Amino acid sequence: MKNLRLMIAAMALCALGLLSTPASAQPKELVLWHGYRAEEKAALEKVLKQFNDANKGIVVKPLAVPYDAYADKISATVPRGKGPDLFIFAQDRLGGWIEAGNTVEPIDFYLDDAVRKRFIPTTMEAMTYRGTVYGLPLNYKVVTLIYNKKLVPVPPKTSGELVTMAKKLTDKKAGRFGLAYSYGDFYYHSALMNGFGGGVFGPGTTPTLNSPQNVKSVELMMKWAEKDGILPAEPSSALITSLFNEGKAAMVFSGPWFLGEIAKSVDYGLAPLPTLDEAGGKPMRPWMTVEGVYISAPSQNKDAAFEVAKFLTDSAAAKVLALEGRQSPANQGVYSDPKIAGDAQLKAFRDQVEVAVPMPNVPEMTMVWSPATSAMNGILKKASTPKAALDVAQKAVAKDVAGLRKK
Amino acid sequence: MRVLVGLSLALGLSLVLAQGLLAKALETVATERADRQAFVSLRALEDLVQRAGGKGDSVRAVVSAWQQQLPAGSAVRVIAFSGIQLEASTFPEDKDDRAAPRRLSREEKPLYDRGQRLRAAVETNREEGTARKLEVEAEALPNGGRLLSAPVEVDGSVVGLVELATPPLKAPLVPSKGALAMWLLLPLALCAGASFVVRKQGLLVIASVVALVAGVGGYASYSLGMLDAQVRETQTLVAGQLRAMSERAQAVMAERQLAAEPALQPGNWDADQFRRPLGLVTPAGAVNEAAVAARVAELRSGASRALGGLGALALAVLLFIGMGGLARTVETVVEHRTAYAYIAPAMVGMVVLVFFPFFYGITLSFTDSNLYNTGQSITDIWVGLRNYVEILGDFSIAKRAQDGSIVFNYLNFYYTLFFTVVWTVTNVTIGVTVGLVLALILNVQGLALRPVYRVLLILPWAMPNYITALIWKGMFHQQFGVVNHVIRMFGGQGLAWYDTPVSSFLTVLATNGWLSFPFMMVVSLGALTSIPAELYEAARVDGASRWQQFTAITLPALKPALVPAIILSVVWTFNQFNVIFLVTEGEPSNSTEILVTQAYKYAFQRYRYGYAAAYSTVIFGILLLYSVVQNRVSRATEAA
Repeated sequence: MKNLRLMIAAMALCALGLLSTPASAQPKELVLWHGYRAEEKAALEKVLKQFNDANKGIVVKPLAVPYDAYADKISATVPRGKGPDLFIFAQDRLGGWIEAGNTVEPIDFYLDDAVRKRFIPTTMEAMTYRGTVYGLPLNYKVVTLIYNKKLVPVPPKTSGELVTMAKKLTDKKAGRFGLAYSYGDFYYHSALMNGFGGGVFGPGTTPTLNSPQNVKSVELMMKWAEKDGILPAEPSSALITSLFNEGKAAMVFSGPWFLGEIAKSVDYGLAPLPTLDEAGGKPMRPWMTVEGVYISAPSQNKDAAFEVAKFLTDSAAAKVLALEGRQSPANQGVYSDPKIAGDAQLKAFRDQVEVAVPMPNVPEMTMVWSPATSAMNGILKKASTPKAALDVAQKAVAKDVAGLRKK
Repeated sequence: MRVLVGLSLALGLSLVLAQGLLAKALETVATERADRQAFVSLRALEDLVQRAGGKGDSVRAVVSAWQQQLPAGSAVRVIAFSGIQLEASTFPEDKDDRAAPRRLSREEKPLYDRGQRLRAAVETNREEGTARKLEVEAEALPNGGRLLSAPVEVDGSVVGLVELATPPLKAPLVPSKGALAMWLLLPLALCAGASFVVRKQGLLVIASVVALVAGVGGYASYSLGMLDAQVRETQTLVAGQLRAMSERAQAVMAERQLAAEPALQPGNWDADQFRRPLGLVTPAGAVNEAAVAARVAELRSGASRALGGLGALALAVLLFIGMGGLARTVETVVEHRTAYAYIAPAMVGMVVLVFFPFFYGITLSFTDSNLYNTGQSITDIWVGLRNYVEILGDFSIAKRAQDGSIVFNYLNFYYTLFFTVVWTVTNVTIGVTVGLVLALILNVQGLALRPVYRVLLILPWAMPNYITALIWKGMFHQQFGVVNHVIRMFGGQGLAWYDTPVSSFLTVLATNGWLSFPFMMVVSLGALTSIPAELYEAARVDGASRWQQFTAITLPALKPALVPAIILSVVWTFNQFNVIFLVTEGEPSNSTEILVTQAYKYAFQRYRYGYAAAYSTVIFGILLLYSVVQNRVSRATEAA
């Protein structure tokens, strides 16, 4: 008897609970994953707090995921509906997630021209896969010319100027170099490669590693290293940092991650990468990485999630993320803000991004790195000529890509 | 009696399953029939919409003209990507203020996304020259109808989407119960009759097998005949539909004055999901007998294979029961029921968690499964031994550079195998040596604070190894790592540890050495304490030196404990995923990869699941071989 009464009471409570849910209008809770730390994290959280204050119906909860496991965590959780509503990640994994399915929601439908025009066009391109937009670009990272103001009063505009200037500053015996960058690293080499009009994929994602332009770009790099002798041998990132900090490297090609490693005593400046005389005066075009805000496909609150993404990428938020988070926003309107226009670092990256090329977001890209790195190593160690090494890499990548497509 | 029970069970089971299969097949045939007829209509409409330019009033006129001849309850709509517009619609909900043309509302996002998906599919297939992504989609509607979608192409690019919703489908043909009962009861009766005549068990079994074959065979011929008729009827219906739609389309074209060039190609309307013509019906609307016959033959062979499989299963059941296998099994289970009850949960766990993934992995290794074809069935992507040939048949391990140095191909299997063996041997050596030395030190009589040392030395083992690995990775950091810091303190230059294969290898060696010595130490310490002190006393009395005592007493006494520990440790180290994956990540350029991390990279960075499965199977083979050899050797040593 007692049991029965308890049961009735429980059922009544349940019924009450069911009744009251729609009435009380719980705010929608959205979860956003990101891989930021320190100032970037603080800036993002500040912007999200602004959003939460402005939108009473929606609460966004950010969660910082340790970067090492971030991508795998998304691949594992999101398709099974256990992931966040939104996540922030670079474009390099985008294609793989789209092909795997049920991970990233296409957002073409939500985009009107005003939102499309909000961004630097190339960053929008990075968010586009097979003609469909999958995310809103948040910020970008790009390699640019970083120089020691004491050694280089005026940064070079062309590759000819760069070489003459660097030759004057190079003294191999004293361990001084005019230029230092990880030229053996295919990512850094992309600036030269794209400058010559080369690239890793042609239309239809056919690999083009051994294109004549790519060969030319590697030959120019070898000329700098061998004939002109303006580059240090075996350029590890630690070596480049220490050379620059000791004033033994006048110029460096690197990105925003390098700025944090520069010693306080070095007075440095940033400038766009020089144009290439060897390629008819075309600019060097580095690869850029674009971090976007994506809506996860199984999310129950896609409309609200899009509002969050839109808010995160508008000018006001971009300003906070740029000034406090030290990111380079993909929003182009924010650069007319006097505070941002006056910031040398942000301005330099903004100038460079004009000619930057978004790193391919197709899943085939993961197959390029190993063969390309082997090719670069072979070329630098003189194990083979640039053409031969790139031919080998081309064959390897073509085989892997064909392996994916085989029926 | 047993034979009869066996026969009725086997026959009943197989026929009920066959009935289920037949019902399923008939349903598929019915759906396919509806889809193909509807697709002919949809593709004809698509052709007209294309000619009308994909948007505007003329599209709306074409759509309303088309709606008139559709069966009641159907509806069509056209969506244009530019401006995200609903261009034309005859769906009942698109009326009044929601009438076309209008912008799609937010709930209609899936519609637009479907259109974009088809556009991307068309472009991808065209670029790659393959048929990899579906170019038309069909799905079931909640009311029992079908919703079909196809892309609209204007001047070679996809600009929109046409959709057709059919009225609820007619219920598919259901296989008759009478046939089932007949093919079940007739053989049973025969066999029962035989049992009165024949007294010998063996003959009876043979009779029952004959009855079973007759029953299954009879039902098979019934179901094949039925499927056959259905498939042929479908072709006739589709051909009729093709003729009707072709005429209708001509009429609408004339009425609306749409461009007549290029001429309509009704033959393309009856196509598969990649919009490749099926060829079962000629463009003129006649049934292509040859193609249909081939199709039917294919269907028949598939169905016969399924039924043959069922028959084999039934035969197995029959023989198992008829020959008394079941009785014996039941007897054993009943007799040892406690034992079986105890192992049942573990067995279920093993099957689900170990055996299923294991056999699935092995199956996968014979396929070309990758990121792009996970949706396809295993038979479609079967490649036989190709993955194994690719892995084991590639001998380009290294080549000589101009200056005489050797450049390794780090992705080669044999290089990775060599590295893995080096890694295993060095690690186990270090683990055993350090562990043994520490155990000997701890075993000194009267050592002060021994428990404290012991706890401290076991600590590396007690910590989760991925945390340890990440700490070591940090310690070898070029700029902030404590190792380089110490080197700099003594005036040296810090090393970029992860830049050359050798230094990179040293970092993982240090990490894993740190992780593996406590285990060896604990094992040796346990064995050491069990050596009687009298042995050493006697040795001392006989004048043996410390070294002689060690080699003659300590080592032989340790052997029974150390050998199994080393065997275990070899397997662990061989598959030590965490340390390599977290500390070096294979850097530089995959040179410090061991087999398991390489397999992981093949699966999750190069997206080649089949290849990675073959890789894992090879690893399994190596370890199996190792343990077999190891078993032989250790048995031999035990015997000695």
